[in-house]
Amino acid sequence: MPVLPMRPDLLKGHLDTLLLAVLEGGAQHGYAVIEALRTGSAGALDLPTGTVYPALHRLERAGLITSEWETVRGRRRRAYRLTAAGQAALGEQRAVWDQFSTAVTAVLTRQPWPAAT
Amino acid sequence: MAGRDVTADAGTRDAQLDAYLAELAVRMRGPRRCRQAILTELADGLAEATRDHRAAGLTPQHAAAAAIARFGTPRAVADGFAGELATAYTRRTMAWFLATGPLVGVWWLLLGHPDPGRDGVMALLAAVPVIPLIAVAIVTLGGTLATTGRLMRWLPETRPRQALAATVAIAVLCIAGDVTMITMLVASGVPIRLLAAIAVAGSLTRVGCSAVVLRHAARMRGD
Repeated sequence: MPVLPMRPDLLKGHLDTLLLAVLEGGAQHGYAVIEALRTGSAGALDLPTGTVYPALHRLERAGLITSEWETVRGRRRRAYRLTAAGQAALGEQRAVWDQFSTAVTAVLTRQPWPAAT
Repeated sequence: MAGRDVTADAGTRDAQLDAYLAELAVRMRGPRRCRQAILTELADGLAEATRDHRAAGLTPQHAAAAAIARFGTPRAVADGFAGELATAYTRRTMAWFLATGPLVGVWWLLLGHPDPGRDGVMALLAAVPVIPLIAVAIVTLGGTLATTGRLMRWLPETRPRQALAATVAIAVLCIAGDVTMITMLVASGVPIRLLAAIAVAGSLTRVGCSAVVLRHAARMRGD
């Protein structure tokens, strides 16, 4: 079955968690985060620049990630990393997602409901 | 010859990326340092994307075009950053109001020299009648700073348009407060000495800065 790219609005409420999860493995720059989301989802989460970069800035404002400027190949690069608060938030959001996805899957994969009489 | 072609291709690639970033720069509204940081960050991302496309076998020119297509139109990217830039502007402006408020207010307080024989609040109100306006401004300011910063993990987040509206409200309150104090001083007929001159100068400076804030906020809201 071909992988269909998801619209950013479908991710509302989950984007923050996805970004935190990508950064859990270590510091990454914005474009690497976009690529990690795309490759990690087999192309389903191919999110635009105008969505991912501002979301990273917002997470930094909230204190869930932090950023540092470094120089790579003569270019200035902003690398983001998870903070302790971000790690805790990711743990909470994972638990919420597990509950949510279990509940939704249970309903969606159920046999058709019997018709009301 | 081949070397010259590669150089020409690289030049075209750089020109494409530069033109893209220049158009983006024109479309973004907000604090200059924030815009510059965003452009630097995106320039690095574009260079990485171009590098990936080059590694996949594209020519420098096509690799740059593919990277630009991947990033989206300057308008879409600028629209994506509009909220963050508005919030950054709000927070910076509010920090400025917070820092300069006491610097202006202290001169009016000294000028009004509250009567130590009266109750604290009443004495303050008599000396600086715009204190209720200041209180509203401080509450708005504190609330907005808290809910656009780290506390938004626990409190409902203030959206960028609401944050800009709060900035406008604070600027209007400052103008109203400063104009009221100057009008009252002039109407009192008291000769303007050094202390009053400093207070008036401070207030007039803040009125001017608040007017600039109103103009910037209107532009960022797209009014």
